Amino acid sequence: MKNSARQMLRLLAMMLAIGLVAAACGGSDSTDVESAAESSDDAAESSDVAGEVFISGSSTVEPVSVRVAELFEDVAPDVFVDVEGPGTGDGFEKFCNGETDISNASRAIKDAEAENCAAAGIEYTEILVGIDGIGVMTNNNNSVDCVTFENLFNLIGPNAEGTTTWAEADASLPDAPLDIFGPGEESGTFDSFIEIVIEDLAEEAGVEATTRADYNPSADDNVILSGIESSDTSLGWVGFAFAANAPVKLLQVDGGDGCVEANAETIASNEYPISRNLYIYVNDAKAAENAALQAFVDFYVADGLDTAVAEVGYVPLTDDAKAEVRAAWG
Amino acid sequence: MAMATIGNNGAARRVEDEIFKQGRDLRGAGFRMVLLAALAVSTLILIVLLVQVLTDGWPVIDERFGDFWSGTLRSRSSDDALGISQGIAGSFWIAVFVAVLAFPIGISAAVYLEEYAPRNWLTSVIDIAIRNLAGVPSVVYGLLGLFLFVKTRDGNSSLMAGGITLAILVLPIVVITAAEAIRAVPSSLKEGAFGVGATKWDVIRSQILPFAAPGILTGTLLSLSRAVGEAAPLILVGAITGRLAPRDGSFFGADQFFDRFTAMPIVIVGWVQQSGRDEGFAAAAGAAIVVLLAFVILMNSGAVLLRNYFEKKRG
Repeated sequence: MKNSARQMLRLLAMMLAIGLVAAACGGSDSTDVESAAESSDDAAESSDVAGEVFISGSSTVEPVSVRVAELFEDVAPDVFVDVEGPGTGDGFEKFCNGETDISNASRAIKDAEAENCAAAGIEYTEILVGIDGIGVMTNNNNSVDCVTFENLFNLIGPNAEGTTTWAEADASLPDAPLDIFGPGEESGTFDSFIEIVIEDLAEEAGVEATTRADYNPSADDNVILSGIESSDTSLGWVGFAFAANAPVKLLQVDGGDGCVEANAETIASNEYPISRNLYIYVNDAKAAENAALQAFVDFYVADGLDTAVAEVGYVPLTDDAKAEVRAAWG
Repeated sequence: MAMATIGNNGAARRVEDEIFKQGRDLRGAGFRMVLLAALAVSTLILIVLLVQVLTDGWPVIDERFGDFWSGTLRSRSSDDALGISQGIAGSFWIAVFVAVLAFPIGISAAVYLEEYAPRNWLTSVIDIAIRNLAGVPSVVYGLLGLFLFVKTRDGNSSLMAGGITLAILVLPIVVITAAEAIRAVPSSLKEGAFGVGATKWDVIRSQILPFAAPGILTGTLLSLSRAVGEAAPLILVGAITGRLAPRDGSFFGADQFFDRFTAMPIVIVGWVQQSGRDEGFAAAAGAAIVVLLAFVILMNSGAVLLRNYFEKKRG
């Protein structure tokens, strides 16, 4: 949000407030909340840690942090960890305002966001916690085994609008009907697919980075999977964890370095090209003064990476990567 | 009418036909069919919705409703501790905030507007303003709450912020419905009371408020169900979707008013989002919707019963 827009909103809010108070004939004094509640935040540091941790950010990473908090509860029952998931961007806005202790992120922090943090004097540590792959899939009866980013752009990108066979996208692909199923625009998986596969090629072609409008979008991954199963030459994409357990064929993807199969190892090692890193960002100053936050992140890095990430359906880091993360947090 | 050329006899017969042979009244029959179809469509949509939600949520309601009732927000749908207790508590307290703040203020404002305020340009401006406020989209109230009650506390959201925001949201509706109920009190009642020497306060207390009570009650309880079902403003005010650590405080403890909170609509939104990753959340969301629906229906039936009771009493 731009500053001027925010000022407008604030003005609007103020006007509304004044209007309401006038409407109630001065009978209401609704602003008595502020004074009362600053106290509960910084709990005293006791030997068996107690305190509060507040986490915001990506809704994709949200379940990982929630799971870690659930496991941490058994270790330190007096630490209250609250987690919300408004989205990576909103999360960084709060984080750089000093409103949160940890920000979940399904991508690395952007330069503009990092500048906001720097301007507010907030120093942070970036911790890689897991990886989310996107599975490109088709029906088990389809003869296609591998697709390139160019193929995917020509099959699913905006220029493909109106095409009805695979061959129209690339002569090497079969001359068979093309039925596309994927997540809708509101989905994080949709965004990641655009960002990783479509964006660069769309820029080259001078078109908007989005998908063709004429595919079958669904917010429900189960609907996407049954769509894939319903047609012999279907095409679609969902989060890897979801596709891996389904009776569909996961296509190999060529991101420029040859065809790579999608499995936990190739995703963890970043060989498989359509994957994104899942991060948490920790506010350094708050970690230094809040023992509960420090203990929670210690636990996240030590145990969470091994257990929580896989339990909620994402791909854990390789042992080397884990060791690196642990050494960095140290 | 096309009856101009028909004589008196013809008109009489025509009237007779219309009364006794309904089959001839094609337009009337058609109109009736259209009305019936409209009713059928709206009922059908409601039934489809109910059936869909019930079938989605049935596995949870059937197998583990007790745990579901007492459970909390969890990361996995297979977790036995997954449930709605935090959403129920949040929605309950929000309803209390609305009842305690919006009802007295709204009804008082309505009494003043109808009985005391002089009729001039200022009162009509206020009247129009209140009507417009009742039509303002609920997200706007969410922004108001965000800036007034959350940003002022360094971005710390609280149950109180959510409750006050929703109380403000329904305030104009309470004022309007209460004012309308008061306006509907027959002036003969008031004049009779004034005639036997009652003061204004007596008239309001013993005549106007009792007579307007059924209307006021219906309006206020309906606004309560609206507040309990709102999600958009609460999302802005910062209701929690992912995890709300179980605090030690009791259900009625005052500490929680300053803690982060969640509410039934927010729990539902969160679980629907999660169902893409973990399909079991779809059933949990369905069950939560059934519970919320049951509460709203209960409150609305309560409104109808109370109205009937007061109407009979006033009878």
